[in-house]
Amino acid sequence: MASVKLTDVKKIYDNKVTAVHDFNLEIKDKEFVVFVGPSGCGKSTTLRMIAGLEDISGGTLEIDGEVVNDLQPKDRDIAMVFQNYALYPHMTVYDNIAFSLRLKKVPEDEVYERVTNAAQILGITEYLTRKPRALSGGQRQRVAIGRAMVRNAKVFLMDEPLSNLDAKLRNQMRAEIILLRQKLDTTFIYVTHDQTEAMTLGDRIVIMKDGFIEQVGTPQEVFDTPVNLFVAGFIGSPQMNFLKAKLVQEGSGYTVEILGARIPLNEDQNAVLAKKKVKSMEIILGVRPEHTTVLFDKTENAIECAIDVNEMMGSELHLHLSSANDDKIIVRLPTVDLTKEQRNSLAYGGKMYITFPAKVMHLFDPETERSLIDG
Amino acid sequence: MSEATAKRHMGLKASRAVTNTAIHILLIVISIIWLIPFVCIVLQSFRVENSGQVGYVLPKVWGTDNYSNLFQTDFPRWYTNTFVAALITAVLQTVIVLCMSYTLSRFRFKMRQPLMRFMLILGMFPGMLTMIILYRVLKDLGMTQANATPGLILVYIASSGMGYYVSKGFFDTIPTSLDEAARIDGATRAQILYKIILPLSKPIVIYTILTAFMGPWGDYVFARYIAFGASAGKNVAVGLYDWLSKDQISNNYTMFCAGGVLVALPVTVLFMFLQKYYVEGVTGGAVKG
Repeated sequence: MASVKLTDVKKIYDNKVTAVHDFNLEIKDKEFVVFVGPSGCGKSTTLRMIAGLEDISGGTLEIDGEVVNDLQPKDRDIAMVFQNYALYPHMTVYDNIAFSLRLKKVPEDEVYERVTNAAQILGITEYLTRKPRALSGGQRQRVAIGRAMVRNAKVFLMDEPLSNLDAKLRNQMRAEIILLRQKLDTTFIYVTHDQTEAMTLGDRIVIMKDGFIEQVGTPQEVFDTPVNLFVAGFIGSPQMNFLKAKLVQEGSGYTVEILGARIPLNEDQNAVLAKKKVKSMEIILGVRPEHTTVLFDKTENAIECAIDVNEMMGSELHLHLSSANDDKIIVRLPTVDLTKEQRNSLAYGGKMYITFPAKVMHLFDPETERSLIDG
Repeated sequence: MSEATAKRHMGLKASRAVTNTAIHILLIVISIIWLIPFVCIVLQSFRVENSGQVGYVLPKVWGTDNYSNLFQTDFPRWYTNTFVAALITAVLQTVIVLCMSYTLSRFRFKMRQPLMRFMLILGMFPGMLTMIILYRVLKDLGMTQANATPGLILVYIASSGMGYYVSKGFFDTIPTSLDEAARIDGATRAQILYKIILPLSKPIVIYTILTAFMGPWGDYVFARYIAFGASAGKNVAVGLYDWLSKDQISNNYTMFCAGGVLVALPVTVLFMFLQKYYVEGVTGGAVKG
């Protein structure tokens, strides 16, 4: 249980490639923070610097108020779960979990107690005498978690622990990690490239790209108020639709014009834009698939679209549309209220109309790619 | 199954049987040819009636006189010399080779690549080139002739770090995340080596020990040169070979055979127990075991 503070932490490799630029983050005691981003964004490197497996090229790393830049991993009091489990193949499950305790010369009866206790929590008691190769992927991952658990470390690091599992097992283990977190009640730093994992697990999410932090916030914050195009596109599935539009200043208010539709912004949005002294300009309009209203008949301020693909997901349809601008749009349409005729009309080449209220719109500057309203 | 298909299937079986039989006959013939010299040596070592070379294989009078006579000569001294040299070399060389391999496999330091390239090139020169200078050095250290054994040990282990190729190749196949997990679990680098890496590399460890033991055990050229005729400093290969010289062969030939059997014995036993690992070790670097 400890806080972790990173101040201007940098990673520059010998070949002068900078993997992580000035990373600043304060992680509170018992917080669950998720680093998320596409591969090569520096999330794993940052985690490995916290673990002490990579040298820190610049800045300071504090755990529980103590600068640990130059401490060996074993002296940082951290536990880590690896993507490929990293179980010791020649040892039984019991010995794997007991390894760190034995190195610390913990009395054997206490080792027994802690190992069996961890095994019970993880449901692997019956496998304690087996070797890792006789276990399935999910069981191996539990052993890896057990190995980290028994150490009662200050900080729990997880490097893509679920990405080697199949989809069904991944969902199950995700729920178990949430339970585990409640039981352990310690500081967690979790690395993943999967935004669903990030959203469901994290108290806060750190979204990274090319070695920079793009945004830090709670799952709700990064979902509702993405500060730039990258975060907007990365969080949410299917991803946010981006459309070419125009922002027009009219008196004290602003209106978004898109393909003949004119949608006035609400008071809050107007206030922010006025304060920033934003003039009329070309913008990129972001709208989430689930925030789009689908209409079967033309109304005022509706945008006409052609249907490209209709994906049946069971409880809802994912419709891939193209607008007259040739913008590609995905919308989510619940199937429960659809009539048979409506459903039949949603085929390739069909026409339909979409609209959205001002409050779900995200406005981005096409040049800086930053949000005009949020951040 | 129709008759035609049945016939075809029979054909496959039959042709397989013929091929297998042919291969096995060939292998048996080759093994007999291979074994003949060994069998001859063993038989000669039990011949009592004549101590020189004879024109027949089976002894007329059987006995263990040759073996007991060995103990009246310097043979026990040579044997001890060889055994001590081989044992110490095996231990030290194994430690050096394994540490060297682990370092080159896991640590990244500035001169790593140049060092490996340098050793590769150095390894292309025959070791014999160093013989004269080594003799001078050892002579100045007082490690020649009767004191040849310590000198030989020094020579054997001096360049052992260069034999890292096979074990480094094997260590490279062990995921580094195991090292990292152990480091986080609180292990030092040395603990990682002997608690994680070595137990996973048993074949390579055994292969390294065996090759380190075999070098000194069978060495002739260096041993002869450094002993320089002093009987107390000879190893078995040098001592036994001297019995084959023109003036000694007629008296010592059967004793030579008995000595040869005694030299081969420990190695044979060692290999019988460890051959499984030895084969794994030789191929281990290429494909993960």
